Amino acid sequence: MSVTRTAPAAPQPGPAPTPAPSTTAAPAPARQISASGVAGRAVAVVRSWLSGTPGRMRLALIASAAASVLFGIAAAQGFAEAGGALSRADANTAQLVRLQAIHTNLVRADAVATNAFLVGGLEPADQRQEYENALSEASRLITDAARSQPADNAALAELNTALVNYSGLVEQARANNRQGLPVGAQYLRDASSGLRLTALPLLENLVTANENRVTTEFDGIGRGYIWLSASGLVALVVIGGSMLWLARRTHRYINMPLAIGGVGILLATIVGSAALSNVGVAVDDIRKGPYASTLALAQARISAYDAKSNESLTLIARGSGAAFEKAWVAAAEQVDQRLDTAVALSDDAQPSRDAWSGYTNVHQEIRRLDNGGDWNSAVTLAIGTGEGSSNSQFDAFDRASSEVLDSSVQQTRSELADAGNTLPLWRWVCFAVGLLAALCAWWGVSQRLEEYR
Amino acid sequence: MSRRITIAALLAGALLLAGCGSSEYEATPLPGATASPSPAPSSAPTAAPTCANELASYAPANEPEGAQLAKIRKQGRLIAGVSADTLLLGARNPVSNAIEGFDIDMLHMVADAIFGDPNKLELKVITSAQRIPALTDGTVDIVARNMTINCARWQQIAFSAEYYHSGQKLLVSSKSPETTLDQLSGKRVCAPNASTSLEKLKQFTKVVPVAADTHTGCLVMFQQGKVYAITGDDTVLAGLAAQDPYAKVTKAPAFTAEPYGLGMPKNDPNFVRFVNKVLEDAKADGRWKAAYDRWLAEALGPAPAPPRPVYGR
Repeated sequence: MSVTRTAPAAPQPGPAPTPAPSTTAAPAPARQISASGVAGRAVAVVRSWLSGTPGRMRLALIASAAASVLFGIAAAQGFAEAGGALSRADANTAQLVRLQAIHTNLVRADAVATNAFLVGGLEPADQRQEYENALSEASRLITDAARSQPADNAALAELNTALVNYSGLVEQARANNRQGLPVGAQYLRDASSGLRLTALPLLENLVTANENRVTTEFDGIGRGYIWLSASGLVALVVIGGSMLWLARRTHRYINMPLAIGGVGILLATIVGSAALSNVGVAVDDIRKGPYASTLALAQARISAYDAKSNESLTLIARGSGAAFEKAWVAAAEQVDQRLDTAVALSDDAQPSRDAWSGYTNVHQEIRRLDNGGDWNSAVTLAIGTGEGSSNSQFDAFDRASSEVLDSSVQQTRSELADAGNTLPLWRWVCFAVGLLAALCAWWGVSQRLEEYR
Repeated sequence: MSRRITIAALLAGALLLAGCGSSEYEATPLPGATASPSPAPSSAPTAAPTCANELASYAPANEPEGAQLAKIRKQGRLIAGVSADTLLLGARNPVSNAIEGFDIDMLHMVADAIFGDPNKLELKVITSAQRIPALTDGTVDIVARNMTINCARWQQIAFSAEYYHSGQKLLVSSKSPETTLDQLSGKRVCAPNASTSLEKLKQFTKVVPVAADTHTGCLVMFQQGKVYAITGDDTVLAGLAAQDPYAKVTKAPAFTAEPYGLGMPKNDPNFVRFVNKVLEDAKADGRWKAAYDRWLAEALGPAPAPPRPVYGR
């Protein structure tokens, strides 16, 4: 296989094997001698095995083969890390979506409870049902979320407590309200403010923690490069060095098997890097596209429900609800910002923005009526469910935004899965290339070693 | 040797590939502990300003209408600051959504005198602490919210003549043996912020004062076992006791005098004179007694003689 330039250099005989030390059994002191004798013999064997040109060849063989195998392992580890980071990013995104759904359901339950309260007397059965649905959905999701991310457990346990307290206070508010007792309103206010004081900060922490986890994992995809390129570089240097030394020593320009192994590793490094960089580009697109949409829409919905609660609370406060209206304005600003972001990312969010501005128009009308002293008409507009009422406009926004949110979540998750689906293949390809290169190194150097027998 | 290395490498590789990528995350942080209802700041009760006769208001007279009344006529309704959760005095009826009570009836009389229509009235719900700010910043034209006439408040706003004579009492659980604040040393007792009840409560130094926004807020804490008792005017406590079968107003006599007046902005005495005329007429022609009988008689006994107006300011 090797290209012959001149006759092979004359084999140089290795040094004469050192005579084996005596191994005759001796009592305790002799045992030490024997042990050091065995070690000495082993060292001598290794020295003889590695000495001279054949010994150096053996060293080159070991170094090249080891570097090749290590390349295989490290490259595989690089792809495994990238793949792991991707799938963890996916899992964390799913958790994030779950937490935002919990948040949405809580503010939705509160919005419905406060609105139903405004109706006075017997609350409408369908609103009652909506409240119950939102709460049971939230508590189901809390269980799911706790199962999916152990790091969230402590916060979710607290959240569960806050939820139980909240629903307890709302029930007391209802019970008192049904008896016509004004203390019911106080229980509802306490429930609402307790929810905002305890549950919502917990959720904010949870959401932030999971957003950070997603970001960490997205960034972690780049670590795959380091494994792949560093191990590729080391292997190429070692193999290249071996080839150079062999060429000098054997007067053959190229050791073909070693060269093939080296080219294999070079190709695997280049093509593998390209594959990883493709994944990186795809993930970047997801981050700036559907993932950003998902975040924006989820946050828009949360702020929107918060605004809706505050609309009712403003009316319940009846004339001294300035603080609640201020909270409405702040929440509405958030909604506008998030929806602008979502629309900039995708036209699909446009219907949500239209529906939201329809709702804000009704809200302005409610405020106009209430500020003008017509509290009763304001309430009628706020609690009605007919065409053009606050509730029906808000429902339109709810439907439009939940639809587009669902589709952007789907898109994020399926694109993340697609981006990572070649990674396992690459992992095995690189591992196999490493092993094959090691075999090539063994074969190539053995050929040269044969010439010394 | 190289073969052994290869085998070892194979094994290591297989292990690596099998056990790739598990990340442990730090636990999600919990937000800081939330505050539970804290005892009201125990500032030493400051010496209340005194004046010759706090009950003295402006005598009704045939003066021309002042700026305040003109403004109210122009806006087409009387805007009043009231309570929506003080049963019997001013409370939202959860069934009809209307705010009703003894205080509210006084306002209907004033609206009737201005417009000839008792319902030309816009009710703004305010807390105890908002009563004086709402008047000084012009949010409301008049406040009818179990407001005690005293010298300190006269410095910021004006009062009508006294329209009801109340006094501070104590509400405890129906099984509690205690009847006075003196017996409650070390116990938590609730009163609303910026109320005369809270000021008086702070004079009982052995009691732990707890403040809430409203008396109803106190009732919620009482029902949750966060406070042992509530102190306030007999009228207000009667309304609280009516909402909780396990609460009672103790039989001990009132330990303060709480003359109620309608609060108005300080700048226009003529409006106060106008309102005083309305109250005087109502006391004389039986409308005052009718309102008392409708709201308070059941809880507080048969109607006393209406408080005699004092003028001379």
